[in-house]
Amino acid sequence: MEVLIILFPLLAFLLVGLFGRRLGDLPSAIIAVLGSTLSFIFSIPALLKALNSPFSVKLYDFISFGTYTLTLGLYFDPLSAITTSLVCLVSTLIFIYSIGYMESLFGQWTYKFYAYLSLFLFSMLLIVLSDNLLGMFFGWEGVGLASYLLIGYFHQQKYATNSAFEAFIMNRIGDWLYLFGIFSIFYLFGSLNLLEIFSKVKEIDPNLLGLAVLLLFGGAVGKSGQVPLHTWLPNAMAGPTPVSALLHSSTMVAAGVYMVARLYPVFESAPQGLKVVALIGGLTALFASLAATSHTDIKKIIAFSTMSQLGLMFLALGIGDKSSAMFHLTTHAFFKALLFLSAGSIIHAFHHHARDIYEVGGLKKHMPITYATFFVGALALAGVFPFAGFWSKDLIIASSYEAGFGLGVFVSFVSFLTAYYIFREGFVMFYGPERHKGHFEEEPHEAPSVMVVPMVVLAIGSAVVGFFEGWYMSALEDNKEMHLDIAISSVAIALLGIGLAYLVFVKRSLDPEKLYQSLKPVHTTFREQFFTERLYHKGLAKGYMELSKGLFLAGDRFLIDGFINLLNFLYFRVVKFLWVKLDIYTLDLFVNGVAKFSFRFGRKASLIQTGLLNNYVAFLLFGLFVLLGIIIYFMG
Amino acid sequence: MKMVPLEAYLILSLLLFGLGVFGMIVRRNLVAILMSTELALNAVNIAFVGADSHLGLVDGQIFALFIIALAAVEAAIGLGIIVAIFRLRKVESSDELTDMGG
Amino acid sequence: MMQWVAFLFFASMTLVSALGVVLLPNIIYVILSLLSTLVMVAGIFFVAGAELVGALQLLIYAVAIAVFYILVLTAVPWEKALKKDSHYRVEGVLTFPILLALYLEIILVFLIGISVSPKGQIREFIQNLGNTQVVGSILFSKYFFAFELVSMVLLVGMIGAVIIGRKEEKTYEDGSS
Repeated sequence: MEVLIILFPLLAFLLVGLFGRRLGDLPSAIIAVLGSTLSFIFSIPALLKALNSPFSVKLYDFISFGTYTLTLGLYFDPLSAITTSLVCLVSTLIFIYSIGYMESLFGQWTYKFYAYLSLFLFSMLLIVLSDNLLGMFFGWEGVGLASYLLIGYFHQQKYATNSAFEAFIMNRIGDWLYLFGIFSIFYLFGSLNLLEIFSKVKEIDPNLLGLAVLLLFGGAVGKSGQVPLHTWLPNAMAGPTPVSALLHSSTMVAAGVYMVARLYPVFESAPQGLKVVALIGGLTALFASLAATSHTDIKKIIAFSTMSQLGLMFLALGIGDKSSAMFHLTTHAFFKALLFLSAGSIIHAFHHHARDIYEVGGLKKHMPITYATFFVGALALAGVFPFAGFWSKDLIIASSYEAGFGLGVFVSFVSFLTAYYIFREGFVMFYGPERHKGHFEEEPHEAPSVMVVPMVVLAIGSAVVGFFEGWYMSALEDNKEMHLDIAISSVAIALLGIGLAYLVFVKRSLDPEKLYQSLKPVHTTFREQFFTERLYHKGLAKGYMELSKGLFLAGDRFLIDGFINLLNFLYFRVVKFLWVKLDIYTLDLFVNGVAKFSFRFGRKASLIQTGLLNNYVAFLLFGLFVLLGIIIYFMG
Repeated sequence: MKMVPLEAYLILSLLLFGLGVFGMIVRRNLVAILMSTELALNAVNIAFVGADSHLGLVDGQIFALFIIALAAVEAAIGLGIIVAIFRLRKVESSDELTDMGG
Repeated sequence: MMQWVAFLFFASMTLVSALGVVLLPNIIYVILSLLSTLVMVAGIFFVAGAELVGALQLLIYAVAIAVFYILVLTAVPWEKALKKDSHYRVEGVLTFPILLALYLEIILVFLIGISVSPKGQIREFIQNLGNTQVVGSILFSKYFFAFELVSMVLLVGMIGAVIIGRKEEKTYEDGSS
């Protein structure tokens, strides 16, 4: 019964993938939406059931070898059930949105898009619901594949395909580490089943466990775009906006966080591992938010924001606060998806030509609904009361102050930057001069209702979900108090950020152009992501290419081809030699010799025929002599 | 009276025959070759007649008669050929008639 | 006794003449030696008791054939003959041993086979009749076919000799006939 939750998207994928061509684009979209909706509907009873008592559903035995059997199964506990419902809900909304967004591409085999989306949903649900690491790994790989397919959906653009490659390869590096993590877990625990692992976790040596945990976290780093495997996430914006909204903000990149939360008992027993998690999370959070302040691409700013918020989630996990991290994940899914959908609405309004925030301006009066939803999302992201972000971010700030004052200040600074950059984007796009007038021919208009409705739903969610905090925490058996002083200070910091953005970009108290010129080296560094992207693309990738080429030349061309050619050459030499020896010297000699001998002998023998009569008579005499001799011999 | 022994006839025949063949080998002149042929034939005749006298038969003599007749024919034709050769080629020694040699 | 002496005389003369035929360089001498040989052979025939054959030998050989040879020798100009060697020296030297070997072989044959030669049984019958009658009776009865054949051959030979010896109307310059 619960199996249907993951089967609906799988079914949708198969139907659309196999028959999409015949069905057509719009029916395929509807099938995808149906799949997602049905999963959501079915996840609710499962959720209710899981809240009371967690339960497992066994699917089937996969491979059995001797003592252990690899199985596939589902595990519903509050964490996984809530996340499942969240994922299904957000997916459904985004699927519906995408019907409007991709409408202009209908007729160009857009059914593929929906097939990939359904595949993604199926894999994501596998990650969330799997009861053992093997199923989780299947899902892990599946979302990586879907991400690759979807980022590179506009496959005629080289930038898109390169980005897809980059995403897939970095994911792969993470997956490789993750796989080794799974191997070590199996080695240490003798099983991949989550419940079995949780029960045995106290018995294992913490140092070995620490190593396994680091490897597992490596997978999360790759999947969630944390430093150092981060350069793919901004470039993944090459895909269509629904993809950015779904995969690269609310769900797929959240899988890393989810995985750490899921395996939290293991992580908790290896404190060194958690320290690393926090360190990387914090580093990424700061790094990404600095980059977001200096970028101007509409979607990239939001992407960096995702990276930064994920960093905060990892930081929270690292300092021991799993429930805050998961709650922030939940709220973040709402407002980040909302922000992306709003951005998508703007891009769609300009018929997919708009890219840069400075290409548009003053959209407030043209697209009021988008304006409203965007700012709801922005407020939620900034963490302003009463929006959802406030509740979850406040929890994290509180935990970090508990872990250390410096850490708390650090997180507050990141929040300040967050508020600043998102409102910078909002103010530039919706206020100010209408820069698009000269740029684009199209008059911007509001999005069609098929796009607007999901946005509004998400906006409502971003506003309201925060109030579920208490219920969420009790579901995860973690009760938190609200610290009033921290709450007020975090809101104040957020308002400071907003205010700064307002001053610079709306009121023009500080001229952005002059600031830009004077701070150029600083923000170039931020912009280039501290030159990591350059380093990776030019240094690693190019260097590896050159190395491969060099090895190819040396190994393949020189050694192997040389060896083959040498063999070839030798073979011909040998054959030629044999031919000369055997054929020319022996056979030919023999054959020619016979001919020559016959010829010479014949010529000499022909000398008998002198033509002289007298000689012939002599021969007669000789013959007579011989004959008589014979007769005498036989007579005597 | 004492008969001439058979061996005498035969030895004489043999010697004569050998001389005849030897003459055929040695002599260069065509006519001389023919004459040596006559010699050999005569030797054979002697042998026949000698054997005949010993055996008391006359068959050998008849055969010797035939040989004489045929030898005459052969001499006639041979000489005719020699005359023709001489008319044609103006040669009379056998060493210039080696056209059939190889 | 008388026979034996006569035989020896004729035999030796034959051999000497035969040697002359073989060895003498001058062609006229050779013919004369041949003539001598033929006459001596006739003598041997007479010694052996074959009068008919001997007489015919003299008539045919010693007269007709010898004359024939002389005729040819005179009819054909032999100016060029005297310039060359009359004998082949090399072949003669080479072949002489074979000749001797041949003689030796025949002697061997004699020595081996002499025991099997028959003795004359019908001599008495012939002595009374006389040679010629006997020859005639056997010739025309037992060897009649051979006799006819030989006469046939003689006829053909005669025609052939005439044809070969005839002078051509046109003489061909280059030796093709």
